[in-house]
Parts: sequence; C-alpha cells; structure tokens
Amino acid sequence: MGPEAFAGVGLGLRRVHLEQVAGHAGHGVPFWETCPENVIGDGGRHHRHACAILDRDPVLTHGLSLSLGGLDPWDGDYLHDLGRFLVRTGTPWHSEHLCFTRVDGSSLHELLPMPFTREAARHTVARARDLQARLPVPLILENITYYAELGHAEMDEAAFITEVLEGADTGWLLDVNNVYVNALNFGFDPRAWLARMPLHRVVQMHIAGHKRFGDLTVDTHGADVIDPVIELMQWVLRRLGRPVPVLLERDNHIPDLEDLLAERARLQEAYDEVLAVPVGSADHG
Amino acid sequence: MANLPALQRALAGLILAPDEAGFAGDPEGFAAAFGLPPRDQAAFRRGLAGFQAYRELARMGLQEPVEDMFPVTMALLGEAGAWEDCVNAFLGARCLTSPHYRDIAPTFLGWLADTGWGQDRWPWLVELAHFELLETLVGRFPESPAPAGLAWVPSPEARIVLAPATQVVAYGHAVHRATEADPVPAAVPTFLLAYRDPEAGFHLMALTGALAALLGRAQAAPIARAAQELGLEDLGEVWPLLGELRAKGAIAGFAEGI
Repeated sequence: MGPEAFAGVGLGLRRVHLEQVAGHAGHGVPFWETCPENVIGDGGRHHRHACAILDRDPVLTHGLSLSLGGLDPWDGDYLHDLGRFLVRTGTPWHSEHLCFTRVDGSSLHELLPMPFTREAARHTVARARDLQARLPVPLILENITYYAELGHAEMDEAAFITEVLEGADTGWLLDVNNVYVNALNFGFDPRAWLARMPLHRVVQMHIAGHKRFGDLTVDTHGADVIDPVIELMQWVLRRLGRPVPVLLERDNHIPDLEDLLAERARLQEAYDEVLAVPVGSADHG
Repeated sequence: MANLPALQRALAGLILAPDEAGFAGDPEGFAAAFGLPPRDQAAFRRGLAGFQAYRELARMGLQEPVEDMFPVTMALLGEAGAWEDCVNAFLGARCLTSPHYRDIAPTFLGWLADTGWGQDRWPWLVELAHFELLETLVGRFPESPAPAGLAWVPSPEARIVLAPATQVVAYGHAVHRATEADPVPAAVPTFLLAYRDPEAGFHLMALTGALAALLGRAQAAPIARAAQELGLEDLGEVWPLLGELRAKGAIAGFAEGI
C-alpha cells in the first residue's frame, strides 16, 4: 500500500481492543499502527486477532527496541523477522525512535536520550544508514521526550535531530506531544522550535496525552490529548500544507474502544479543519 | 568514540543498580566512576531530577510485567518483605536481552531457576512462578502447523504427538491451589496438562501421576510399550481419554509405524 493511502488520524493497535477491532471491519479508523515487537513470535488468540486486522486494514509499523543510537550490534535474527513482517503488512515505511534502548546486551525497554554531541550525531547517522540498508521499506525517525541532557551538550535538541535527519537522509515521524512536553520541561516555545526544523521531512505525526508529576511533565500516553497539543498539530499541518497521517497513541489507562474512537474522531475534526482551508490562506504564525 | 559508550553505560547503570549507588548525594562522583570527564559529570548534577525520573520510569516498566504475571509469588515474598530484594536482584543481574517486552516475565522465571534465588527458604518458588506463567506460555505459544500424516484415533503401536503448545507439568507442590491470600502450597505431587483448544482458549486438566508419565513416555515409544515399561496394565479408560484430548486440541494426533 503506497504512502498516499495514509492520511487522517489513525490509532495504535492495542491488545485489549484486538478482538473487538478484528470483529468490526466498519470501525472507521483510516489506518492502524502496530509495534512489530508485540506481534513477531507471538501466538494464541490475541495474535490471531492481530493478524486478521493486519491482513485486512491499512497498517503502519512503529518499532520500540532496535536501539538506533546504541552501540550493541543489531540482533540479526530479529531484523530478519522484522523485514518479513514489514513486507507482510505492506507498510510504506517503518519508524524507530531517535534514542537508545540497549546497553551491553541488556534491553532496558525505555527510550533513553542520546547525548546532544557531534560524536553521537555521527554515530546515529551511521547506524540509521546501516539500518536503512537492512530494511525492505524506508526508515523514518521519531523525536522522543527527554528528561535530562545526557552529558555535556554541544548543540541543542533541535540541532541534533536536524543533523541526524539530514545526515541519514531519512523521513521524520514528528511527535508533537513530545515537542510540547520537552518545551514544558526545558522552557522553550514549541512553535519557535518547530520553525527551525526540517519540516519537509515530516512523513507522519504522533499525538498523545501527558501528565505532570511535580516539576516534571512525563509523556505517559495515558490521558486525553489536551487542546494546546492539538493546536500544535494543526500548526504543523498548516505549515506543511499537505496531509500526513497522524497517529493517536494511548498506552496507559487505555479506555474502551468506543471512547478511543470518539477521541480519534475529535482529532480527525481538528485535522480536517486545517486541511479544508486552502494552503496559503491559513495562519502560519 | 570518546564519551558515548560511557554515557550510555552510566545511564543504564543508574537504572539497573539495586540502589541509586549514591547518585543523589554525589552525581558527579557517580558519573566519574564511569570514566566521564568533569563537564559530563556536571550535566548529571544539572539533570539530577530527570535522571532520577529515568530510573523510576524504566524500573517501573521492567517491574510491572513481573508483578502482573506473578501476583502469588509477589504475595509470598511480599509477606516476608523480600519482594523488592528479589526484583532488585533480578534487574541487577542484567539478564533482559530480548527485544520483546512480553519476554520480561519468562526471563524472570529463567533467572529464578538459574540462580536459585530464595529457594533455600522457599523450595517451591520456581514451581509456583512456573505455574503462574503456564497459561501465558501455553496460550501465547507461537503458531505452528500441526505435523502431517497423524492418525486421529490412538492405537497400541502409535506414539502420542502433543500439540506444539501443550505442556505436561509435574510439581512437587500443589502450586495450582496457591492464592495471593494463601500463597504457601501444600507438599502434594501435582501433575497437570496445560493446552489450548482449536479456538486458542486455555485449559488446565489435573492428571494422575501414571497418566502424566504415559503422556511423557509415549511420545518416544508406542503407547502399549510405554505403558508396559511403566507397569500400567489396564489401559481401558486411557484410549477414550486420548481420543478426547485429541479432539480438544491437547494432542495433535498419533504417529503410527515410526
């Protein structure tokens, strides 16, 4: 399925909803996003439902564990299985996070921040290019939330991400909630930040909820999306002037499917509101 | 490559260490222990709260699937104030290597079995944890095609071929009766057949010791010979049961002439 088939607001496919979604082809969700790690090598009832959905509906894939910025060698067996899975789903691209998740053989199952250094940027560019050569579809990279700068920073986050995206020549999965959360935690203007970024590389967006814990805002994916984040999504869409698929992520406090579909519909309205306005007449401020 | 490996090791070390290893009191010293220069050490001081959040978030993410999967084991160890020690030792062992989040709980079981942690005090600990994981092990066993050419009706000269997901388990304790309120299992030999039906539903069936032994041995030898070797003389009730287990999906079929 070609990239042009993906637009509007999709949902992350979650285990608790699999049976319901598999039995309900008229759900109205334009596409799903699935994490290959959760499907590859699995079996049983939920797996059967997941496969039925993946074989029926448009799907994008989103990886969690390749540890793009890490120093461990790739898991060759997993990459082989991943390649087969990507072909099977027909996804037009595969996304991974701009982070590391493994150290010295240990999987930490957490998206850990890269140091904002020239050394780390060079390393990540090389890894992204190498990974791209091993995947059957284009690789795109997602900006993460970070809660601390890992070591002395030689550049800021925006410059680091730009250097990696340009150096690796990859598309960008722009997570607007991550930008918003980082802006809260590090005190910058998210629009000014985005205005510095290579938005022409955006091929997909993520949107989600977050939560404040004391002085720190955490990207929990456990709450409804707040209006300022929706407005940030709209701001980006206006800037882009083209439809890119937006994916609503919900990983904690997962509501009933009906409630999640209603949340998706609310975001779809906001999405349509922007793209219904002819490019050039929208507020680009 | 100058500092990148050390920076990543420092953050992993902070997350996986049983305690914060003095991080809060001396973040510069913590970073220095990983060979990081002063300017990187200073960043650990500046980001103290953020790094502590990483430790908490990552450990929560690793601990949650263990607590969800092993509630009775957690209750048992919790009563003795040992659960946190157990989890800390597990995470500190750095044995989580799989890219799959669902593998965290099986890795915990493997770690318990390999290290013998706590088994001087709770000899049944591995059995208890294994039983708690059994439904998942069977229920999520990867799909695989049934062997071809199997008979559907058992015969004395045929071997039993279990379905790929099926497990025959033997415990020294009645771990299947343990609960969070009463997590200490009675010392009773326990034999169970765990399988899933054609619709992938999970089922558990209590077995006699003799039947469990037959299901084990008759996978390698013809049923009649296996029964003879085990001293089982009367198989009258066994034949219909084997047919029933095939119909329910526990047994894939019967291999004749091999």
